[in-house]
Amino acid sequence: MSRYDVNVLLYRLKKDRELREKFKADPSKALADADLTDDEREAFVRWDLRRLNELGGSLHLLLSIPGLGGH
Amino acid sequence: MGQIVYAAAMSHVLHPEYYETNVGPRGRRMVEDLIAVVREMGRDLIARHPDAIVIVADDHLNVFSFDAVPAMCVRVGRTVRRMVQDDPIEFDRALDGLPDRYPLHEDLAQRILEQGMEAGFDFAASWSGALDHAFLSPLTTLYGDQPSPPLVPFWVNCFVPPPPTARRCFDAGRPIARVVAASPWNVAVIATGGLSHFPELSLARVGESDPAFDRRVVGWLEGGDHEAMRGLTTKELHETGSHELLNWIVLVGAVAPARARVRFFGEMGRVDLAAVEWPV
Repeated sequence: MSRYDVNVLLYRLKKDRELREKFKADPSKALADADLTDDEREAFVRWDLRRLNELGGSLHLLLSIPGLGGH
Repeated sequence: MGQIVYAAAMSHVLHPEYYETNVGPRGRRMVEDLIAVVREMGRDLIARHPDAIVIVADDHLNVFSFDAVPAMCVRVGRTVRRMVQDDPIEFDRALDGLPDRYPLHEDLAQRILEQGMEAGFDFAASWSGALDHAFLSPLTTLYGDQPSPPLVPFWVNCFVPPPPTARRCFDAGRPIARVVAASPWNVAVIATGGLSHFPELSLARVGESDPAFDRRVVGWLEGGDHEAMRGLTTKELHETGSHELLNWIVLVGAVAPARARVRFFGEMGRVDLAAVEWPV
């Protein structure tokens, strides 16, 4: 588990519109080069916010990614 | 000789629509009552004509990325922008329509950095960080349509573990007070955030606050029990959702031994709201 990698990716999704749009269109493809464990990757692809939070994802990022944030 | 001419701390999402959406009409009414109190406090603040305002608040992963998160950071430069974000979440819709740019008090910021370093506090400096609701929602409620004096934004890392300790935050307030006292300026100090919300920063627990803890904290502030504030552990702050109390504790360090006067306290459930001022 890497709290750092999960959060760096969440931060990029919040700030980088291009990545965000790619992620919305095809999450697996958008994350192909990301350095994530299988568990982390699955949580991202399923956009399972609670699981991402359990894996160390910052609550404030999870709440604030445009068009994807929430709870 | 300079002095702190006004000191207050308050919750920082002063935006009725946020509470209407997330709590309902009761939440909206409570924050509207708080906003009315903060506006009244603003009239007192404005009457004291501060030359500068130090605002102690936190970053919500808007300014600092996970590449580098300073424990405490002073914004330097001549002006600072309002944060602009694609499709902002409800917190930051409070910023819509506010001025884009605010003046900074560069000389006071520089003295806090330099004399903080001399006193053993390695405050970071940012030349580019923008201000989010944590700074601008209270500031613009206090000042209304009037322009604010130059600001010294001061960030405390409340959310990216490990945060600075309560003890360190309290102690960091002391050199700020000494810098003001040795300066030619009259300065207001405002701290923002809280009270308890988002316990353990757990998504599953969003919607919970800890009223018993908040009542205890407010009692300590009123009673001037600053050792109790200084002794709060990172674990207690995390478990109760009181991360943002670190901002308040910097201010308490700057104004101690003054005792707080509570202007507003409301138990909402999702977050407890407060506005407090210190006679200085």
